[in-house]
Formats: sequence, C-alpha cells, structure tokens
Amino acid sequence: MSENPFEVLKEDMENEEVYLKVNAMHRVKVVATLLGSDKIKSQLIPYFETLLKKEDDEVLFALAEELGNIAQIIPNQSSCLLSLLEQLAGFDETVVREQAVKSIAIVCGFLGDNDIANTIVPMIIRLASNDTNFTCRVSAVCLMCPLYARAGNQKEKIRQKFTELCSEETPMVRRAVATKIGEIAQFMDKIHVIQDLIPVLKQLCQDEQDQVRLLCMESLMNIAKILNSSENKTNILPLIIQSAEDKSWRVRLALSKIFADLAEAVGKEIADSSLIQIFSNLLKDTECDVRVIAVRSLARFIKFVSPEKLNLIVPLLQLLSKDPFSQVKQYACEVIGQIATLLPKEYSQSKLQQYLIDLMADDNQDVRRNAAKSAGQFAAAIGPEALNQFVPFLKKCMDDPKWRVRKETMQTIIQLALTVKNPDVFNKQLESVFVMFLKDRAAEVRSMGLIQLPALIATYKQDWAIGNFLSKCIETLSKDVGSLYRINALYAIQQISFAVDGPIAQDKLWPIVQKCLKDPVPNIRFVSIKVAKSLQKKIDNQQTLNQIKQSINELLEDPDRDVKFYAQEALQN
Amino acid sequence: MNNKPTSSKQAPAARQQPQPAATSNQQRPAQPIIQNMARVTDPKHVPKEIRDQFLKKIHFCSQPYDFNDDTKNVKEKQERSQYLQELFDLLKEPNFVVNLVVPHLDLIIEMIEKNIFRPLPILKKTATNGEIGMEDDDQLIDPAWTHLQPVYEYFLQLIVNEQPDVKSLKIFITHSFIQEFLELFDSEEPREREYLKNILHRLYAKLVPRRKMIRKAINDCFYTLIHETYKFNGAAELLDILASIISGFAVPLREEHVIFFKTVIIPLHKVQTCQFYHEQLLRCSMLFLSKDPTLATFLVEGLLRYWPFANSAKEVMFLNELLEVLEVCEISKLEPLIPKLFKRLIKCIAGPHLQVADRAMCFFENDYFLTILKSYKPFTFPLLVPVIAQIADTHWHKVLQESLNALKTILKEIDYQAFDKALNNKDPKYLYIIQDAKNQKKDRQKIEEKWKNLTKQAIQKNPNFKEPIVPYSDTHIVGEHNGLNNGNITIL
Repeated sequence: MSENPFEVLKEDMENEEVYLKVNAMHRVKVVATLLGSDKIKSQLIPYFETLLKKEDDEVLFALAEELGNIAQIIPNQSSCLLSLLEQLAGFDETVVREQAVKSIAIVCGFLGDNDIANTIVPMIIRLASNDTNFTCRVSAVCLMCPLYARAGNQKEKIRQKFTELCSEETPMVRRAVATKIGEIAQFMDKIHVIQDLIPVLKQLCQDEQDQVRLLCMESLMNIAKILNSSENKTNILPLIIQSAEDKSWRVRLALSKIFADLAEAVGKEIADSSLIQIFSNLLKDTECDVRVIAVRSLARFIKFVSPEKLNLIVPLLQLLSKDPFSQVKQYACEVIGQIATLLPKEYSQSKLQQYLIDLMADDNQDVRRNAAKSAGQFAAAIGPEALNQFVPFLKKCMDDPKWRVRKETMQTIIQLALTVKNPDVFNKQLESVFVMFLKDRAAEVRSMGLIQLPALIATYKQDWAIGNFLSKCIETLSKDVGSLYRINALYAIQQISFAVDGPIAQDKLWPIVQKCLKDPVPNIRFVSIKVAKSLQKKIDNQQTLNQIKQSINELLEDPDRDVKFYAQEALQN
Repeated sequence: MNNKPTSSKQAPAARQQPQPAATSNQQRPAQPIIQNMARVTDPKHVPKEIRDQFLKKIHFCSQPYDFNDDTKNVKEKQERSQYLQELFDLLKEPNFVVNLVVPHLDLIIEMIEKNIFRPLPILKKTATNGEIGMEDDDQLIDPAWTHLQPVYEYFLQLIVNEQPDVKSLKIFITHSFIQEFLELFDSEEPREREYLKNILHRLYAKLVPRRKMIRKAINDCFYTLIHETYKFNGAAELLDILASIISGFAVPLREEHVIFFKTVIIPLHKVQTCQFYHEQLLRCSMLFLSKDPTLATFLVEGLLRYWPFANSAKEVMFLNELLEVLEVCEISKLEPLIPKLFKRLIKCIAGPHLQVADRAMCFFENDYFLTILKSYKPFTFPLLVPVIAQIADTHWHKVLQESLNALKTILKEIDYQAFDKALNNKDPKYLYIIQDAKNQKKDRQKIEEKWKNLTKQAIQKNPNFKEPIVPYSDTHIVGEHNGLNNGNITIL
C-alpha cells in the first residue's frame, strides 16, 4: 500500500497540463519530508536539475518557492539546495529569479556566519561577475542587501562589487542598484555609507536615464534616515536640491511623493532652513501632475516643520487654491483645513478663510466636497466664533446639486456639532443646517443624518430632541412631501424614542405614530408599526400599551401584504 | 563584414512650410545667412561676422521654451522657426556645410540635444468613454510637436548629408547619447517615432564604428521591455530598424547574434503588449531564420512555451507565426517538439474560440505541415485521430464541423490502417482536452488519493507538518499566485 513518494511526484510531473505540474511541485514538501535528507540529496536534487532545462517558467517558479520550503525541512543541510537556486537566480524570467532570491535568503537563515562568508559571498560575487547575463547581476544586487550584515570579513568585497555595479552600462543593473542602495545602507556602518555609497548615489542621481534617477528618490530618503543632521546637510541636501530641478518631471514627481518622509528623515532643522524653499518650487511646478502629488505630500509635510515657518507655506496655499487644475485645488483644501490647526487663529482667519470659502463655491464638485470637509476642520480649529462666518456657506453647500457634496457637508456639520458641544452655538448656528437632512433629495444624505442622530441627541439632550427637532419631524410628516421623506422622519422619531423617558414617549411621540398608522401609504403604515414596536418597550402605561396593540391589530386586516406581515410579526413577540 | 542595411526608408513627410513671418521680418538686422554666404567669394574663409551670426542663431535655437502654451514667447518662437529654416537651407549647399556647419558640429549637436532630449510629456487622453477593448482612434498629439519637427528634420538632413564625415560625427554619438535617444522612442507621438527611426537608421548605416554600441543599447531597451516595463511605444520602430540590421548580418551568424535571437527576439513574444509590434517582430524572426534555418526549432519551442492565455487575438497571431516558422523547420529536428506542438493544435481546435479553431484548422491545408504530420505518423495519429473524430461529431459550429469531417477524411486517406488503429485506442492520451471537468476530476482521483496517503504519512512522521496548499484547483483556474480569486471559473 505504501507508495514511493518520489515515484508519485515523478508520475504527477509527467502530466501534460502545466497547472497540474505546478500543483505537483507545490506538494514537493510532502515528498521531501518522507524521503529525508539523504534521499533529497541523492534523488530529488538531481531530478530537479533535469527539470531546469525543460520545464515551463510556471513550474520553475513553483520549484524556486518550494526549495525554500525544503530548506526548512532539512535546515542543517540546506546548503545542498544552493546550486539549484543559484541557477534559478540567473533565469530570464523575472518572477522565477526573484523567487529564487527569496529562497536563497531562507537558506541563508539556516547557515552559520562561516558558511555565509565561505559559500554565499563567493556565490554572490560569482553572480555579480557574470558578464553575459544581466539577470545574474540583478539577482546579485538583491542578495547583497539581506546578507551584507552577515558577510563578516567579506563585507569589503561586497561593498566594492556593489559600487562597481553602480557604474554598469546595462540600465537594468543600474536600476536594481538604485532601488537597493537605500536598503543596503541600513546594514552598513555609517562610515562606509558616507565613503562608499554617497559617491555612487550622487552618480546615480545624475544618471542619464530618468528611470534610474527616479528610483534613487526612495533610496535617498532611506539613507537620510541613518545620517545625522550635518551629514545630511553636506551629503543629501545637495542631491535633493538637484533632483527638485531635474529636467524630467517624473523625477520631480517621485521626489514630491516622498517629500514629507524626507522632511521627517532629515529632521526639523534642515526642513526649516532648506526644504520649505525647495518644496515651494515643486508646489509651483509647471507640470500639473507634479503639483498634485506635491500638494498631497504637503498635508503631511507641514507636520515636520516648525510652526513659525508655516507662514512661508501660506502664500503658496493661496496660490494653489486658485490653481487651474482642479485636483490641485481639491488637495489644497485638505491642507488648508490641517494647517489651520497649526497656525495662530487670527493668522489663518485673515489669510486663508476667504480662500476656503471661495473653494466651497468651486466649479468642480470634488473641490467643493473637500472644501466643505476642510471647512469643518478649519472652523473647529478657530473656535465657535468662526462658525457664523462659515454657516451661511455650509448652508449653501446643502443646496448643492451634487449629493456627494451635501453628504460631506452634513458630515461636517455633525462633526462640528459634536466637537463644539455648546447648545447655544448649536441652536443658533448649526441646527438649522442639520435639520436639512430631513428634506434632502438623496437617500445617502438622509441616512447620514439619521445614523448620527443618536450621537447628537446624546450631546444635546432630550430637551432639544423633543423640542425643536421633533417639531421639524412633525412638520415633515404633516406636509405632503412624498412618502420617502416621511418614512425618514418616522425613523428619526424612532431614534428619539430610544433616548427619551416613557411618559414623554407616551405623550409626545405615540400620538404622532398613531396617526401615521392610518396613513394612506402602505410603506408608512408598516414603518409606523416598527416605530410603535420600539415605543412599546418604553411605555409603562397599560392603557396606552393596549391602544398600541389595538392599532396594530387593526392592521392585520390591511389590504397590503407587507403591512399585514409586519403587523403579525409585531404581535407575535 | 557585410553590415550595410539594405532597405532604404523613404524620407518622412513634407517639411513644414517656411513661416510667412520670415519675410515680413526684413527690418531686423539679422539677414538670412545663406544670402550673406552667397556673397562670400572664398568660401574657405568665412568672414567673422557671418560666422558670429551663424553661431548666434544656433545659440538662439538652443533656448528652451514652453511649447505647450502657444501664447507664451510668441515672437521668440517665430524667430526660432525662421532660424531653424535658415540653418536647414544651409545644408543644401555642400560648400557651406564644409566651411560653416562641420567646424561647429559640437554646437549643432548640442542644440539638437537641448531640443529633443526632454522628459517625454504625459499626453492627456480626452475622456475615455469608449467601450472596453475598443481601440482609441484619437491620436494623442504633443502640442510641442510643431516646434520639434524642424529640429528633427534638421538632424535627419544633417546625417543624410554627405559632408559631415564619420570621424567628426562619431565623437558626439556616444553611448549616453544613444541611450537618451532610444528613450525618446517611447514617445506617444507617432511622427516623432518615425523621425527617430529614420535618424537612428541613418546613424547606424553611417557610423560603422558605432554599430556594436548601438546594437547593445537597443538590446538593453528590449530587455527593459521584456523584464521590467512590458510596454514601450517605440518597439515596432526599433524592430523596423533591426529588420534592416539583421538583413545585413553575414552568414553564418555570429554567436552574438544567435544569443540576441534567443534572449530578445523569442522572449519578445511573451510580452503582453506584443500585438503592437508583432508584425515587425515576425519580420525580424523570419529574417533570422532565412540566415540560419536551424534557429527555427528554437522559435517553435519559444512560441509553444509562451503561448498566450485567455487572449484569443494573440493566439491567432501565434498560430500564423507558428505555421510560417514550421515551414522553415527541418522536419527531422522537430521530433522533441511534436507532442507539445500537436497538443497545442488540438487545444486550439477544441477550444471555445471559433477564429482560433479555424486558424488551427488551416494548418492541415498546408502541404509542408502535412508532411510533418506524415513523417511522425506513429506519434501524431494516436494524438490527433481520437480527438478529431469525436469533435467532428459534436462541434457546436457547423462550418467547423464540416472542415473537421474533411480533416477526418484526409487523415483516413493518409493511412487508413493507422487511422483505424488510433481510433480504437483504448487510452487516447489527449482526449481529456475535450472532456468536461467532471470526467477529468475522475481521472485525477487515483493520483490525488496517493497524495493524500503520502500527506498522512508525512504528518505521522512530523506532527508539525502543514499540508501543502496547491494553487490550482477545480475552481481556481488562474491560480492563487496571481492574486485573483476567480472562484466561479472551472477548468476545462
């Protein structure tokens, strides 16, 4: 009964379909576990050798992955897998060699430092010196990063080879180096970073291919992280300045993307003294895509500079908020909202408020939406006294033809109401805007108001809920404005009922619902049943409870099927 | 070495008309150089003021302007076009070229570099409201093109011109020049690519000492396309140039060229944007095969290896190429590929796409292919006959059913006995291709059972053993490795 595992593997690998072979390959660890290390060496590995020549890339990709798994089965003898992996690391197909590199790293995890120095480093050097296949050299670059730290006295050799590869003629290798130079720096002693890596980084930042320069940006940031302020000033800052003036917009865009992280990496001092100036130019870039990315980074960037330097950014924001490209304005809105939390109140009020108000009336709906959102942040930062200046415009936004804008505005109003927590301000300013959700055309907006209602009732108490707000609900219910609005108002009443005492529910709410149970529209009738049901839970008075039951009972004979269903359901429990 | 490109490309479309503004600008002191030059009696000694004037104009044309905004620097741009026209006119007179242009080639090349070596713009597409899969007919137009075109035209004429000799030109055509030049091929502007192609073509023809370097740079370009970016707008143009380079290769091919065929030409087939340059690629492939027919089997192998998945248009392209390549193959060399080849054809014929099936059926109208089929009768008949016989009865499309029946007759005619024998074969190897998924599952049962047992044993041996997860299952045709979860597709 017992099968020979190796034979089963071979049998399944005979299959015609590639996907079945891939499956079989992924079961190799079953075979490896059963065979044990000796047979892995004597049978399995020679068999894999034969596969390298004839199999499809998909199968080899699976093989590269499984070799990593086999290494875990025979951790002490996993170096026997290296020869196969080395071959796979030089393969043409990108995914195969990347997977091989990953598996080599796994194998190295099981090796002692001696083995790394004596086996792995020579392998890396071998790959790095392969002149015919650039793929080998790319794999070598990828391997250097994780293994440099463990290379012992061979570090020098790796450094030398790495810097050598930076001056490669083959662009693919230079691109690999540009991507990895920031990573390998993390493992190096600082002195070597400055002596060996910075010169090649400089060279790569001036590469004739914009692709290479572009990939340097991320590495630039990673290296900046490990240097101190003065080292950054002499080594990294010139490269940032140079890249910000790069003739290729792709490079400038890549730089804009990481600018906030870069500011964090180089520290406040350099950010204050130099980066603001450089970044200002990127924000004014001629290419609109660069501006879009730059202004997106700006929101985070302002956190990494000193507050007193922020006034340098304000004129730029004024400029950006008038940008011809609407995406720029859209993100500028966000920054205005955020920067207001950092700037002195009067300053933001005098310099930015009007710009934000103008943006709330922009032609583009995304801009208006973001502006409405930022208006909340802005007003909250300034304090209640700024509210009366924004409310008229927020009210206008609630009349916006686009529901997304209205939804965002509603959200803003609710957020504001929840942050100020001041009944006076709320009653005077915000409530009138908030209740607009009852009459909104879009279900999204209506349900937004409904969802947030409990939080508002919790903040402004039942006096408000059964006072002003209830009267608005009644107004909606009594006016013939279409059943959807009335249903919404009914649900609002249900929300009120959760928050109020029994007597109030009985005196104030039940009469309204009672009337609605007789509404000509069936949907209103069954929603009323649901609301009546939640009233039941609040009310103690037996007489009223009987009244409720009675009213629902009457609906058992309703001509509408759904109403009947809900009435039955309500009476059952 | 006979490396001369043979095909001569026609010069690009007519140049821009001279600007009418040029004539109304007479009050300007700067008179056209050509008139001044015409007055010079001894062309060997060009007076200083003319030379200065010439240099000033070159310098002027090297200035960058924002060509995307027509309202900016209108006057300067107009002046620039006029100067470029003048510089262009100078090339018509060999005398002027020798005495004025060639001595200042450095500045001229610099002027050209400053103009054309720019980061390629992102051309914004107007709202893409077309259906998916519809080709966008709107050409993307670079607004700077009208200002770049005269520079390209000038460059082209400069290279075409007999006067600047190889020695003086060679200095400027460095590796980094070529690399930057090749990057421009990614331009979205087809007219720009056409110029680039023509210029590079001439450069290659003219600068014999730079040929190897240019070929290497083109190789790198293709490597990037194959291994990293998967998209390059100028691939077709570069292949066009290659086609003429290849036809200049001496026979027998050098090792270097064979490697190029194997590491660039064949893998180019697998790139997902292959359809944009397949026509040119096919031409290059066939040129290679005409130089060395033994390469054909490698190409057949490559095609079978990189066969497209879920892309029927590309499959049709591959089928066309495959048939063409097979005709070059020496039949005796094909033996190791026969099972894969015929399996692929059966899959195409039995597949769900009618055009693919139809294309695959065309193979059987080709005499050379039929010879291959006959030569490997012991292999091909057992593969083909059972499948063909079955789908000839069951195929859903009438026309294809007819041609399948015709094929059945052909096969019978070739060898009636072999046909009968294959038909009665108890265990036809490829019949599973046309089976439904359920039956296939049944066939797999035995070996799946074995795996299950082995897994159990492995768990016994090592309690921590985790059962392997296989990427492909009945419900995952694309495999989980691709990050797609196509739970509703079954393998057929």
